[in-house]
Amino acid sequence: MAEQPNQNDIHPTERIKKDRAAIVEVMMELQAKRGFLDDQDVIEAARRTGLSPTEVEELASFYTLIYRRPVGRRVLLVCDSVCCAMNGSERLLNTLERRLGIALGEVSRDGAVTVLPSICLGLCDRAPAALLNGEALGPLDDARLDALLLELKRSR
Amino acid sequence: MEVVLTPRITPAGPLGLEAYRVAGGYTSLEAAFDLKPDGVIDVVEAAQLRGRGGAGFPCGLKWRLRGSDAPKPRYLICNLDESEPGTFKDRVLLYGDPHQLVESMIIAAYALQVQRAFIFVRGEYAQGASGLTTAIAEAEHAGLLGDNIAGSGFDLRLEVHVSAGRYICGEESALVNALEGRRPNPRPRMPRISAQGLWGQPTTVNNVETLVNVPHILRNGAEWFRNLGIHGGTGPKLYGISGKVDRPCLVERSMGSTARELIYEHAGGPQAQRQIIGFMPGGASTPFLGPDQLDVVMDFEAVAQAGSRLGTGAIIVLDDLSCPVAVVLNLMQFFARESCGFCTPCRDGLPYAAQILSDIVAGRGHVGDLLLLEELCEKIAPYSFCAFAPGATMPLQSSLRVFRDHFEQHLAEGGCPYANRGQRP
Amino acid sequence: MTAFEIDARQVPFNNGDNILKAALNAGVEIPHFCYHHALGSLGACRLCAVEVKPEQPEQRPRVVMACMEPARAGLKVSVAAPAALRARQGVIEFLMTNHPHDCPVCDEGGECHLQDMTVACGPPYRRYRGRKRTFINQDLGPLVHHEMNRCITCYRCTRYYQQYALGTDLGAMRLRNEVYFGRFQDGPLESPFAGNLVEVCPTGVFTDKVFRSRFARVWDLDTAPSICPHCSVGCNTLPGARLGTLRRVRNRDHAELNRWFLCDRGRFGHQYTEHPERPWQARVRGQTVNYSDALGAALDQLQRAGAAVAGVGSPREDLESNALLQRLIIRHGGFFAAFTDPGIEAATAHAVRYINRMGTPTLAAMEHADAILVAGELTAVAPMMDLGVRQASRNKAKVGVIHHVADPLATLADYDIRLAPRQTSVALKRLQGMIATTAEQSSGDEHGLAQLAATLMHAQHPLLIGVVETLGAYGVAALAKLAQSLGGQAALAYALPGPNAYGAAIVNEDGATQKVLEAVETGKVRCLVVTAADPLGDTRTGWRWREAVGRLDSLIVMDCVDSATVRAADILIPTAAWAERSGYFINYEGRVQCFDRVFERDKPLPASVAVIADLANALDLGAGEPRVAIADLLPGIALPLAGEPGIRLTPRVRLDVPPPIESVAGATGHWQVGLASWYGDDPLADHAAALSSLAPASTATIAPDTARIAELATDARVMLRGPAGSLPLPLCIDANVAEDTVALPRSAMCQIGVGHGGYVELEAMP
Ligand SMILES: Cc1cc2nc3c(=O)[nH]c(=O)nc-3n(C[C@H](O)[C@H](O)[C@H](O)COP(=O)(O)O)c2cc1C
Ligand code: SF4
Ligand code: FES
Repeated sequence: MAEQPNQNDIHPTERIKKDRAAIVEVMMELQAKRGFLDDQDVIEAARRTGLSPTEVEELASFYTLIYRRPVGRRVLLVCDSVCCAMNGSERLLNTLERRLGIALGEVSRDGAVTVLPSICLGLCDRAPAALLNGEALGPLDDARLDALLLELKRSR
Repeated sequence: MEVVLTPRITPAGPLGLEAYRVAGGYTSLEAAFDLKPDGVIDVVEAAQLRGRGGAGFPCGLKWRLRGSDAPKPRYLICNLDESEPGTFKDRVLLYGDPHQLVESMIIAAYALQVQRAFIFVRGEYAQGASGLTTAIAEAEHAGLLGDNIAGSGFDLRLEVHVSAGRYICGEESALVNALEGRRPNPRPRMPRISAQGLWGQPTTVNNVETLVNVPHILRNGAEWFRNLGIHGGTGPKLYGISGKVDRPCLVERSMGSTARELIYEHAGGPQAQRQIIGFMPGGASTPFLGPDQLDVVMDFEAVAQAGSRLGTGAIIVLDDLSCPVAVVLNLMQFFARESCGFCTPCRDGLPYAAQILSDIVAGRGHVGDLLLLEELCEKIAPYSFCAFAPGATMPLQSSLRVFRDHFEQHLAEGGCPYANRGQRP
Repeated sequence: MTAFEIDARQVPFNNGDNILKAALNAGVEIPHFCYHHALGSLGACRLCAVEVKPEQPEQRPRVVMACMEPARAGLKVSVAAPAALRARQGVIEFLMTNHPHDCPVCDEGGECHLQDMTVACGPPYRRYRGRKRTFINQDLGPLVHHEMNRCITCYRCTRYYQQYALGTDLGAMRLRNEVYFGRFQDGPLESPFAGNLVEVCPTGVFTDKVFRSRFARVWDLDTAPSICPHCSVGCNTLPGARLGTLRRVRNRDHAELNRWFLCDRGRFGHQYTEHPERPWQARVRGQTVNYSDALGAALDQLQRAGAAVAGVGSPREDLESNALLQRLIIRHGGFFAAFTDPGIEAATAHAVRYINRMGTPTLAAMEHADAILVAGELTAVAPMMDLGVRQASRNKAKVGVIHHVADPLATLADYDIRLAPRQTSVALKRLQGMIATTAEQSSGDEHGLAQLAATLMHAQHPLLIGVVETLGAYGVAALAKLAQSLGGQAALAYALPGPNAYGAAIVNEDGATQKVLEAVETGKVRCLVVTAADPLGDTRTGWRWREAVGRLDSLIVMDCVDSATVRAADILIPTAAWAERSGYFINYEGRVQCFDRVFERDKPLPASVAVIADLANALDLGAGEPRVAIADLLPGIALPLAGEPGIRLTPRVRLDVPPPIESVAGATGHWQVGLASWYGDDPLADHAAALSSLAPASTATIAPDTARIAELATDARVMLRGPAGSLPLPLCIDANVAEDTVALPRSAMCQIGVGHGGYVELEAMP
């Protein structure tokens, strides 16, 4: 997405050579390689958009779905907002931590997964719900959780 | 009621271009081009279509106020950032019927004489966004997008922006910042984004559900549309019912249906042996209503009269196993976590309130805490920069009324009575 | 002007003002954090809540943010209303939930806006029971200290840094109550204006790291109004000293000059006063002596030399010392010059004459230009002028830069025209040609110039700024011609080489420098007196001075910093640094400003003017009274006092001097030398430890194409040969340098004896 000329009080260098509007797209593209952005990726995103690494970090650090630390091959987002919370998401998260032997945000020992709590995923009709690499899961009961953990274990 | 917005949505997945056309899709374009831009706005205004993004601003009026003489370029943005807890209607529209959205965007863009339009999709809906991108490609291929659409002389570029999460991105001026690649903080109320929005140009932001009504209005007329509503409501409405109900679901019903009908007839009511102790009628940022208000008519005015807001029409139901104080704590933690951090009352006031609530739930509440919570709400909501913080304090403020006894019980029993009874959700 | 009412006081306002701005301008206090005069309203802190009385009786009063509410005639505003008070208390209580309350150990204590507001607004209690969130600080380099826990998230720092100063390496990270103001990674702040964070931040997040190393409480500091001695802009400063040492420099508001800000050179350059090599002891031929012995020795030498004396003043020496030394030397029958390089003298003299004839804009006025051409590296020579150009650029001015390297301004320039040093004046002439005869054709590779010419021509308020040191007299004249051909609207400004270069130029006689140098070279001078100058360390003529001083009987030097000349002195008389004495500078606008003595050392050093006066009195030349010397120089001018905004010398039409002819005499070698300067680069600040630790590495820098043709590899070392000798340097290949040019730091140029635009030989070393 290319930027249009603009009228606001905007950094003069931007009038000349920045492609700010592409930044989220660029970060997502770089993140697709390994699942997260390391410092070199931030510098690369800066190079591609004409922003500075600090300006990229201002955005990278704001968004939920940009990861600045290593994550597993898959990311499991578990909703902890109101509907899912009323339907047992806290227990779900605790179980996941226990059975994977990791804290939220860590990478499981086999590198397969990182579990992160998430705000409402728009899956309230499937509470408690989760999103595994964009794939909707829910309602997650004990049986489904077992199946999920098995699948995570098998995935290489 | 005749199902208008969702009949093509099935578990089999969305219709492709051809199937959508067979089902009557893209026929409203012709009607629109015949009417001319102002004519489209007239019909939408006559249909009394109100915004479905939460505030209920009349759609036709918004378009008219933008002005047909607004400087060019102008932009149209479809707000598909849906992140309000309890709300999942936009997801269903996106995943279930992307061509309907594309058709709606073409007509809205035509009415507003916009040559470049965006659909801003929350990152968690990336799969839906890719289906949408496919639909756009099909439409482009068929000459429904691009230059001189269907020989009308009207040109439109439609772009999908996949965002990367954060509730605040749904606030329209924050959304505009996000689209520009800036930090998604809201902008000041003035200048309005309708005058100076995206890249400083006139910009119109509408919710998906608002927009998808438009082709049907054009096909069937304003009167037909108004008559779809009941109890003074106009048109169809997508209601989500979730929380502690038997069958959480999304239904398309007449605007003006009652909460009782929606909860009991469509969502199966509370689970067996359970009782409803309260509900939020329109998502996590709307005030709680009590069980005595189940007959409230789910339309903008009626819900407002009952002391709450229709919001997104996402009903969140609490039953007698859900500790309302814990629920409110969860809500406040949500808002504190999602605050963009721009203004003081929101950034530092909400975590303050959340902290007190967590003390109360953990049995460390103080005698004056309920008064303090009231006071905090009064010091946060009126003085915050955008509508986020008022939305955040409404459930808290109302819960202190609706669930007063629960709060008092927490203080008296030194903790959560539900947890003490081994029942904590 | 119309007015509105705040708590029964009438407050006038200008159209477009908001309530807060109008109130502050009228001296009515409304508590606030995020609003700042230079940065405007943000509406983030919500502290400026005020009550607005209803216009209709049935309406209820509204609490609004004063910084976001337009001022209107007839508005009735209350700051004291209970509702507004409550709102403000809410904000303070919220901000305090996470503030560390570390005032006793915080450098901001005593001048903390947060402290003041908290005391002023209340509440006087703490109710929050949660844990405080904490941050990890960053190392932001040697100048600015970072303490994030104290942050109140007013966004002043990033707004200043990014939007005002146009820096890109400080930002707001993360969100909610974890918003973090810092850099992508640890490392020195890159902006030449980073130090202003110290004053812009309303609490102790960004503090002065240099001050911190020898800290004193603000109420213990001795202060006095002063003028920055580091460049020709003449920013107003407020140095602070304690127990006989200078500790820090802060900005002092001058409505037409620096207003709220200072550059880092001005803020941190003062450390030269504490440099270990600073001359403290008088010396006569290697022997440490006391002042009166040194003075006696100097008198002896002067008397012995008779009329065979010469004096060298300096653009960094104050007006009275220059004037008095000139009188002393001339009355003694000798030669005086206020410069050490005839080229710089000519260029400065021309610039001053053009300014006199055509007028020049104040710093504040520069911000209103709509098209700007900068010839030379403004950031390095007059940093605050650069900041002014940045403001104009924010106001949508088109900016063109002509220089041999991409300097900091080039990154935001619409026309970045990179030319070898000697091409600059050619380009200026070309521009003038294009403007004078619109029909004149431009060839393809002049596209940038042609566009720039068109932009300047169509601008309402074009502004041309020239850096005198690198333009040379010929370039100075070419720039003035260009301004003339643009017509009456065009403004012209020059960044002069030193805080008192203007003053030096009016003391100096045309051609005096050449005369003095030649007289010394030919042995006509027996005794040379130098004050605050370093002729031996000069880039272009230093080598000639170094040879010539061997012919003297004695070299008498007064200075407050170490230099080649100080080291070569037969008689050295250390003098007071600027904050240790008072004096006058004339800035680039021809503004005479007075700086006061800020403090006295335990063992005070004499001001140079006092030394010169002692000499003059002893010689009984009747030259003794500095005020008389200045009065003769500036007849009819009532000299301003310290703290006053200064007096601009009204344009005095002088004889039109014929424009200088550019000469390439003495050119040997194939490579043109360009001066690689940076914002910390001046004879005083070079001795400021923290600032000069940021100096770029010493390299010979050339463009990639040039390197390829010359078959030079990236990691090569090269040998440079100039008139004064040869010097090996590491090579740096950088696309930012013009072709056929080698950019060299000042010290390297001095060693091989070449000035900006001169020629050298360069070859790869095995
Ligand atoms: C904090 C906040 C979050 C919001 N999130 C959304 C959202 O996710 N989707 C949406 O359509 N509107 C959202 N809104 C409302 C929008 O600002 C805007 O009013 C709406 O998109 C206008 O569309 P409509 O007129 O069609 O309803 C949000 C508002 C606020 C204050
Ligand atoms: S660091 Fe200072 S200037 Fe920046 S937001 Fe915090 S308090 Fe304000
Ligand atoms: S000064 Fe008005 S909100 Fe900060």
